[in-house]
Amino acid sequence: MPKRSPAQQLDQAINAVLSVQQPLPEPNSHPRLAALVALVRPLRAVPHPEFKARLKADLHRKAFMNEAAATSLSATPADFRPPGFPNIAPYFVVTDAAKFIDFLVAAFDGTERGRYKTPDGKIMHAEVAIGDSVVELGDTNEKISPRPATTHVYVKDADAAFARALDAGATAIFFPTSDHPSGDRWGALRDPFGNIWHIATPGRWALGSAGMPRSVQPYLHLKEAHKMLPFLESAFNAKAMGVHTSPEGAVLHATMEIAGATLEIDEAHGEFQPQPCLLHVYVANPDALYAQAIAAGATTIEPPQDKPYGERSAGVKDAFGNLWYLARYTGRPQM
Amino acid sequence: MVAVRRPAKTPSPPSDDERLLVEAAQADPSAFDALYELHFERIYFFIFSRVHDRASAEDITSETFHKALASLPSYEYRGTPFAAWLYRIASNAIVDHYKRSNREQQLDDLEHPLAQPELSSHDLEFIERHVHFFRLVEQLPEVQRRVVCERFVEDRSIREIAQRLSKTEGAIKQLQFRALQTLRAQIGDRHA
Repeated sequence: MPKRSPAQQLDQAINAVLSVQQPLPEPNSHPRLAALVALVRPLRAVPHPEFKARLKADLHRKAFMNEAAATSLSATPADFRPPGFPNIAPYFVVTDAAKFIDFLVAAFDGTERGRYKTPDGKIMHAEVAIGDSVVELGDTNEKISPRPATTHVYVKDADAAFARALDAGATAIFFPTSDHPSGDRWGALRDPFGNIWHIATPGRWALGSAGMPRSVQPYLHLKEAHKMLPFLESAFNAKAMGVHTSPEGAVLHATMEIAGATLEIDEAHGEFQPQPCLLHVYVANPDALYAQAIAAGATTIEPPQDKPYGERSAGVKDAFGNLWYLARYTGRPQM
Repeated sequence: MVAVRRPAKTPSPPSDDERLLVEAAQADPSAFDALYELHFERIYFFIFSRVHDRASAEDITSETFHKALASLPSYEYRGTPFAAWLYRIASNAIVDHYKRSNREQQLDDLEHPLAQPELSSHDLEFIERHVHFFRLVEQLPEVQRRVVCERFVEDRSIREIAQRLSKTEGAIKQLQFRALQTLRAQIGDRHA
């Protein structure tokens, strides 16, 4: 009988401990085996790193909301976000915004919050609520080209939403599966407008529970994604909630929190290639964050200015081509 | 926990650094992050060692820190470490948890010394040894840390892990072996 390696002997002993709760392996199988197997029990008590990160994010969000509430009571007349908005809202530019709204309503039970039209009937700006989030969108025009994006949507039933999205014209990239490190049930598809949607039902966590992201999260597939993380930290005071990398250092998945909202990042791969997107980020002080982003290496799109649609807003572009509009809500006119 | 020799650690008064962290968080709740990072592992293990169940430990840990954050403005230094305040919140949260889940038979377990917020130096030493161990796990090379997490935290089999990491089962066993060897050596180095 071939002699088993120390690694094999250890695993056999670990299996014994894990399966039948035997305290120790057979004696003399390996001089240091017992000392290693004794580590199994404390290893079983190690807190899950994802839980630690989620709880931290939730506490941070709660603290941030408390602070914002206290500020609004004392000095600022209103929240710096429009009512019902998350801190980060993806902005889609599509060739037929009216049909895109129909898609969002059909696939994700979206609720249209309103739309501004141009004289020629195109949609200049519209908002659709999905779950606890809001996405914004508009039609292309002679100055603005289509800007498809990738988005992670958390729903109660990923399979049902996936099927509805297919019925509404989307094409599957991969059907929902539970075989994902996050434990989520997760599928991905491309809508008729070129946007990619990751559709997931949370696995080990529940919608609304500690640390959950909002229903809609921007998802950035990037080349050399690892370079984005320090940029976000220095430009937008982002905090890494969980970063998983390959042994070679590639970002397998990262969740970054900015101003109490989260977005996801990974290294571009397969079907999931970069789609430089437009993100609307609501912050208390867009002027300061604009200056900080420029200092961190972003280029300007437009400096801070008061907008007629009820925002003070500034725009910057990162090295990956994503457009960030940093805004403080000042009271939006009725749609 | 593995047997390690280390001088007993008795409760110590709050350090100036910790006091500054608390005052910073009281002035700006978003600064609570630092206190969370400082105490998460010990509060988690304090709870886990009593409930012996990961899901319950996570629920109660979450409740503990949420209560701590909410109550922070009223916290006052009285010569005891901040952790003692967190342990008391955690103890109450454990009792509340069992009351809610109506598991009367488990209430007896709360008579265990570790179930009480007033911890002996031996109890504190027990907790601190685990906190130290958890941080050693965090410092493992990424691939070893992931194998350890999937094997012992997520209860995955060697075969599952091999499939998920696109490696052979033999390679995963080797990584597991190296990770435990590293941990064993570090415990020995620091506590011998």
